[in-house]
Amino acid sequence: MTTYAERPTIAPAPGLAPAKKGKNFVKWITSTDHKTIGYLYLITSFAWFLIGGILALILRFELTRPGMQFISNEQYNQVFTMHGTIMLLMFATPLFVGFANVIMPLQIGAADVAFPRLNMLSYWLYLFGGIMVFAGFLSPGGAASFGWTAYAPLSNSTYSPGIGGDLWVVGLAIGGLGTILGGVNFITTIFTMRAPGMTMFRMSIFSWNVLLTSILVLLAFPPLAAALLGLEADRIYGTHIFDPANGGAMLWQHLFWFFGHPEVYILALPFFGIATEILPVFSRKPIFGYKGLIAATIAISALSVAVWAHHMFASGQVLLPFFSFMTFLIGVPTGVKFFNWIGTMWRGHVTFETPMLWVMGFLVTFLFGGLTGIILASPPLDFAVSASYFVVAHFHYVLFGTVVFAMFAGFYFWWPKMTGKMLDERLGKIHFWTLFFGFHITFLIQHWLGIKGFPRRYADYLATDGFTGMNMISTIGSFLLALSMIPFAINVWITRKSPKVEVDDPWGYGASLEWATSCPPPRHNFLSMPRIRSERPAFDLHHPHIKTEGH
Amino acid sequence: MKVNWQLFTGLSIFYVIMTVIYWYVGGEEVGITGMLLAACLAGMVGFYVWFTQKRIGKTLPADNLTAEIADGAGELGFYSPHSWWPLPVALSAIAAGMGLIIGWWLTLIAVVSLVISIIGWVTEYEKPIDDPSMTAHH
Amino acid sequence: MRLGLVITPLVLALSGCSKVSGLGFPEGVSSVNDISLSLWQGAWIAAGVVGVITLILILWPAVFHRAKPSKGEFPKQTQYNIPVEIIYTVVPFIIIAVLFYFTAVKENEIVEKSPTVAHEITVNAIQWSWQFGYPEAGEKAVVTGTPEKPPTLVVPVGERVRYTITASDVVHGFWIPAFMIQMQNLPGVTNHLEFTANKIGEFPGRCNILCGRNHAQMIFKLKVVSQADYQKYLDSLKASAA
Repeated sequence: MTTYAERPTIAPAPGLAPAKKGKNFVKWITSTDHKTIGYLYLITSFAWFLIGGILALILRFELTRPGMQFISNEQYNQVFTMHGTIMLLMFATPLFVGFANVIMPLQIGAADVAFPRLNMLSYWLYLFGGIMVFAGFLSPGGAASFGWTAYAPLSNSTYSPGIGGDLWVVGLAIGGLGTILGGVNFITTIFTMRAPGMTMFRMSIFSWNVLLTSILVLLAFPPLAAALLGLEADRIYGTHIFDPANGGAMLWQHLFWFFGHPEVYILALPFFGIATEILPVFSRKPIFGYKGLIAATIAISALSVAVWAHHMFASGQVLLPFFSFMTFLIGVPTGVKFFNWIGTMWRGHVTFETPMLWVMGFLVTFLFGGLTGIILASPPLDFAVSASYFVVAHFHYVLFGTVVFAMFAGFYFWWPKMTGKMLDERLGKIHFWTLFFGFHITFLIQHWLGIKGFPRRYADYLATDGFTGMNMISTIGSFLLALSMIPFAINVWITRKSPKVEVDDPWGYGASLEWATSCPPPRHNFLSMPRIRSERPAFDLHHPHIKTEGH
Repeated sequence: MKVNWQLFTGLSIFYVIMTVIYWYVGGEEVGITGMLLAACLAGMVGFYVWFTQKRIGKTLPADNLTAEIADGAGELGFYSPHSWWPLPVALSAIAAGMGLIIGWWLTLIAVVSLVISIIGWVTEYEKPIDDPSMTAHH
Repeated sequence: MRLGLVITPLVLALSGCSKVSGLGFPEGVSSVNDISLSLWQGAWIAAGVVGVITLILILWPAVFHRAKPSKGEFPKQTQYNIPVEIIYTVVPFIIIAVLFYFTAVKENEIVEKSPTVAHEITVNAIQWSWQFGYPEAGEKAVVTGTPEKPPTLVVPVGERVRYTITASDVVHGFWIPAFMIQMQNLPGVTNHLEFTANKIGEFPGRCNILCGRNHAQMIFKLKVVSQADYQKYLDSLKASAA
């Protein structure tokens, strides 16, 4: 069926829900609609977030007191390996794909993505690949236990026998293929399917970030796939690709981190984009420094390919000055973005509906995480605290601070667009504050724990070490963090029966194009589209008397 | 389209420069190779987009600052309305991976199934050879 | 409510500070601390200043630029301000340039290898403990620990030691937290590290790169003794090896 862009004359017919549940199920699993596929990604990745969170609670409960109370050393290693793998590769990365799928085509005025069936293939590869990785827990030897970083030779079949490790490697390789195909889809969509007048420099910042993230995906995931296939070849065919005698230990670290560093920007950029969408709406003014923001994001994407060995300063085998300089340098565009965000709020008419609250939480948390990153960028200081809880604290501040806070911001913000219902504000605020305090109580103390000498990935410590008190505080925080999911679950449940949103833009000051179509949008997104003359076409449509300087 | 090829080509040039600097200050083979390959990939895409844009010649409505929505009216393209094929392709890929772990026999079956599924996917919307719409050419 | 955002993290952070000057690390215990501590303090001060200023800038609109009916519906729709944008690009660049300068100077000092050192010690990591070798006491002078009985690394005070850092199986990490120094033990690679311990006492040492099941038990004790006691230790190793 070819799709036509038409001038609308009729209102959409009321949707007829499929009569049987079976029909609905089939509709979802044969879907080629970017919105449905996006929802599948969002739901699946959120489920993995909860699973990864439970694994974290297991870690925290075990670490509360000295001695192994609940699980063994080996099981502990499996739990943190899977916690890291799930959070980074089965929660956060697919979450980006989910948000990009739902929102980006709407924001650029496209009817769908460039390759709808490929889109669904990517989802299946993600779902089944992830299940494969997790299935390691069901194998006799347990799940992979060599850390999500899988350093060679620990990750080979001599030191980590058992199919748990193989399932991990192959599952990730297949899931990674899905991510690469998703990147291809998004770049093609943005390049070829923008609406008339939607020039590149009128595109929303979120969509720009989706584009740049997808480019990083293309550059970073193939090295990961190569490393994983090499590792699997060593594991099952007895090859010597990562044999230490051949320099395998360093080879793995280089290949892994060549992927691993761009990966953290893949995780950060889309969620920076979400924050950038929300701030103007709740400040009632445009994004500050739109072009500078794009330039900064391009700079981050470019530089992120050249900093990987800052994860390897302590190896004694990498160029310290080159990598520390590049790492310091990448802090500059990141800092610039902060001032773009502040500038958006500055002298605005700021209101604090729940999405804005979440963005504030992100700003405060990521600020601290970014600063500890600057500390770690300096090799002398890295030598003091690398591979300790200081680093664990740092990366939870930047990753959780960005991904989770911006995720919830995006949920509350786009819930009406996706479901036609508004999430409850009061529950949203309870959710936010519980999570905010839970997070900081858990992770702030871990900076000090690392400085005092507690290594990461330690299953246990001695009573004489002096780590008990700090671990107890952290565990209490983690409990609060876990509890914060309850108000959210209640919120999602009760708003099923909320009144339907009848307008295109319930927030009132939406800027990008998704706020110029119904909540939720029709199958191919737009029955009518406003003229596009700036980076905020929906705002121009709804508030024509406010002048926006066009680009 | 100009911004598009410039973006990729710009990144490619940047990575070439980084590769040269890294090599010059005494970097190692993995990083040099990695950044060089990144430059090649970005350059390949940049070249393709530049070449395509040159062939198209005119400014597309999406790149026209004064375009009207009606400029995009007409056939947008073909969007598959729904499809079963992604699922068997994915399951075949997974089975092929599982076969690495469980045994060759599974990989063999999976590869056959993968080829069949891909053919099914690609030919999903083909019309029969004597369909009337195939005979008239514009 | 908003004050909570500011006060809570600050209180939590300060509550742990016992020795404000070292900000967590002891002063004068090793040559590395002498090099790195001032950079640690300086970096935290810089981070603190930047952080507090940015935090104030984030919270200021939240408090003072709130929407009010009296203000009307829309504020001025400022989209850019080139001078401001240039400033907030250049200033961070200057800050990191300064940080990088000190970083480069100090990292060169830390990784510097002297033509001659007073002593040599080998540190070989195995699953799951340490083998400390003292070549000056002969080839057989190797102390091997176990997870149940962690070994002691004995070093002389005030004399520069070169550590040869290796691993027999997987990657491990040689870390002495109090001395602000670590180095990976890589199988197939020989790493070198040089520093001087400057204070007599005992300091915990740990493996900090995941190495398998008993990673958490791969600890050791660094014992800094007088030069005379070190000679006695070497002699006792020579004797027991013979």
